[in-house]
Amino acid sequence: MRWFESPNFDFIKAHNIAYFFSGTLIVVSIVAIFTMGLNYGIDFRGGQEFVFEFQEPVDVVEIRSELSEPLGTVPEIKLFGSDREILLRIDTEEDITATRELLIANFATIYPGNEVTVQKTDLVGPRFAEDLRRGAMYSIIFALAVVFIYIFIRFKGWYFSAGAIAALAHDVLIVLGVFTIMAEIAPFDVSIDQALIAAFLTIVGYSLNDTVVVFDRIRENSIIYKTMNFSDMINKSLNDTLSRTVVTSVTTLFVVSVLFIFGGEVLKGFAFALVLGVILGTYSSLFVASALVVELQKRAIKAKAK
Amino acid sequence: MKKQNNGFKIGMIALFLGLTGYYLFPTIQWSLEQRHIESLTEAERVVYESENAERIQRLRERSLSLGLDLQGGMYVTLEVGTPQLVLELAGEFADSNLEDVIRVARENYLERRTDFIDEFVAEFERRDPNAMLSRYFRSDAQNITRTSSNSEISSFLKTQRTSAVERAMEIIRSRIDRFGVTEPGILQQGNSRIVVELPGVDDEERVRDLLRGTARLEFRLTPESDEINSAKQAIASFFSDFEADEENEEVQNLLEIFDLRGTNQYSFGYAAGRDTAAVNRILQTEDVQRLIPRNMDLLWGATAFAHDNGIPLYEMIAVRSQIELTGDVISEARVAFDPTTNRPEVSMTMDSDGARRWSRITGANIGRPVAIVLDGYVYSYPTVRSQINNGRSSISGIGGVQEAEDLVNILLSGALPAPLEIIEERTVGASLGEASIRAGLYSIIFGLSVVAIFMIVYYRTGGAIADLALLLNIIFILGILAGFQATLTLPGIAGIVLTIGMAVDANVLIFDRIREEMRGGKTLRAAIDNGYANAMSAIIDANVTTFFVAVILYSFGVGPIKGFAVTLMAGIVASLFSAIVITRVIVDYLTREKSSVVSFG
Repeated sequence: MRWFESPNFDFIKAHNIAYFFSGTLIVVSIVAIFTMGLNYGIDFRGGQEFVFEFQEPVDVVEIRSELSEPLGTVPEIKLFGSDREILLRIDTEEDITATRELLIANFATIYPGNEVTVQKTDLVGPRFAEDLRRGAMYSIIFALAVVFIYIFIRFKGWYFSAGAIAALAHDVLIVLGVFTIMAEIAPFDVSIDQALIAAFLTIVGYSLNDTVVVFDRIRENSIIYKTMNFSDMINKSLNDTLSRTVVTSVTTLFVVSVLFIFGGEVLKGFAFALVLGVILGTYSSLFVASALVVELQKRAIKAKAK
Repeated sequence: MKKQNNGFKIGMIALFLGLTGYYLFPTIQWSLEQRHIESLTEAERVVYESENAERIQRLRERSLSLGLDLQGGMYVTLEVGTPQLVLELAGEFADSNLEDVIRVARENYLERRTDFIDEFVAEFERRDPNAMLSRYFRSDAQNITRTSSNSEISSFLKTQRTSAVERAMEIIRSRIDRFGVTEPGILQQGNSRIVVELPGVDDEERVRDLLRGTARLEFRLTPESDEINSAKQAIASFFSDFEADEENEEVQNLLEIFDLRGTNQYSFGYAAGRDTAAVNRILQTEDVQRLIPRNMDLLWGATAFAHDNGIPLYEMIAVRSQIELTGDVISEARVAFDPTTNRPEVSMTMDSDGARRWSRITGANIGRPVAIVLDGYVYSYPTVRSQINNGRSSISGIGGVQEAEDLVNILLSGALPAPLEIIEERTVGASLGEASIRAGLYSIIFGLSVVAIFMIVYYRTGGAIADLALLLNIIFILGILAGFQATLTLPGIAGIVLTIGMAVDANVLIFDRIREEMRGGKTLRAAIDNGYANAMSAIIDANVTTFFVAVILYSFGVGPIKGFAVTLMAGIVASLFSAIVITRVIVDYLTREKSSVVSFG
């Protein structure tokens, strides 16, 4: 089987459409993040989180309204995998055992006879949450910086670094936007926690893989085709590596989809971020990173000419 | 030339396979062992386990361990209270200025996330650049004297903190061992945090008390009843014409939630359990503090003394600020039962010095109560009937036998050098862990099958070779994890699944390159050589960058995320090796004759 044996797409020419498409997504993401706020999970916000399993199916809306009075606040409740399991998140200074007992006592009055077991509890202190948040932020910034420097050294041009970083930021920002917008409507937990940061860094690594392979081909082609103009050469490199890009994306998309479907409820949000990331990463290496490199290189030459 | 080269490669492959086998062998043995143990009846199991205890222990230690998210258990991060430790170190030199510096330094440290001791020294010097910290701290052992410089004191405090953390870890270890947890993990994180991992534990509250219990046992006298009464009256009149601030819920009338009628002359009053925090807050305010005599402390009783419609009521007891005797003098403790009520209590014996002081205290206070205070709560305040000469004492007012046992455990393991605060706590039930293992296993099997089939369809023989490499790759990853004694977590399994998708990338790069070279008219052999050679730079660059990202994730992440980073790193190393070395050897073997044909699709 062969896909894209000798393709000849004009990726660079398509950049206006790509810019428009990406631009829209980014603007929507940023607007969503600023208006709705990042949907921090327990790791970054602190508080208490529980997963309860009931014997019989339960109704989330009913539990939420019944619990708001005894708790003194409206807890965040979502189904967790099946209609017998719920994830409950609450901000409270109370002792975690006290909260748990209070919840179980209330469940007993809401659903008499429906036995409940505690599957999972998480308690994160506010200061510790702040440390985790800080660590996450540093790790993303640090990762981008390291990538920038490595590409700068290996490919000898800041526009390669800038193109790659812009593509990575593009991917992460849009995934973040999607997660923010889906906060209320997703049937699984899409809050931003440590696992999601791991997913982001994996997306960074993955998207980078694609970008670096293309850059490597550009580096190679620029030695073979010395006279070809820069934008054509980049286009040729993109076409040369297209079949590999597609095949790797397909295999990776397979496994992350498998993870999303079979990986269990705990990994749902994480796997979902990876699915989005693989799709966006492939798209951005084809349409965003290289187009930006062409643009930046043009400007750099112009600036030099002046 | 080529032959020799491949001989080396084959040697490498054999070596790695051997190492992997060596490291994974205990894991395989262990899982067989577990299956065997499960098949036994309860009685047989006990016998079998005690006969083979040593071997089982060794296997368990050397096999690939599962994270708490997979096997269920409890994960706790504790922080050693450095501000309290510093205050404690100052001991009797402590004054209000020091307390104030510590308070401000604590705020700065929370704000800026820096080192508390650095903030402490900086704040002290900011107030008076010429002031010497040495007026607060002395240590003969550490050579800290009146003339020690501030930087010497700073490093002295840091050493003290290090040893406090180490000591706290030892104490926690001894408490956990007595509690009976297999394979607990206790490690330091940063300079003042301790991570405790307890597989299989599901009684969180007990563990929490066990970890946090500072076991600060104090014997204190109580004030005269006139003193208590006049303080009560002062507070009653202060709040009688007190207007609660409608806007600010913090400003509340104490008398609404606190009843000043005590059950006896030493009891200051009582409140419902849920209101105790609010009562504390009001009592801490400056206006109220002024009404309470300086040498009087108000402490809550450890257990509810009564219930009002199911709401537990707690008593507040007035005690003297001076501590007559501390738990350091306790040499022995055990659970006993009160002969009349048959309720559990902890019976304690003091060392000779303690017994002598205890005898003096009880002798001088016949007919008056002595409060037994543990971690800031009054357990009981029995009235001294006669002088006690044998150093015996007991703590009553304990909830149950289990609590009494834990208390003995805490008392015997020694007092923590500084209070510990739980800043993170996670528990996973065993059934959720099992579900996660199952989900992870399915994901690996499905992911592997889908990718394997795709590769064969797309690259034919080449794909089959890549699949073989992929399979070995997964075994290598597990071997690397076992070799480095890493823990397999759920995100770690996700990392393996992800690696399956990404590992074929190197082969995709190579095979696509071979196809391209063949399209250019090269012979199969030449195309293979060129394909491997030309794909190398892209493979290296792409994997090095991803590896960097994994390293960063490892250094910033905590807990399960570290597990993910480790599998990602192991995956990158293993997949590079299997994609470049293993597939090359197989491809070379299949094309050893000029006429042989290997299809790359």
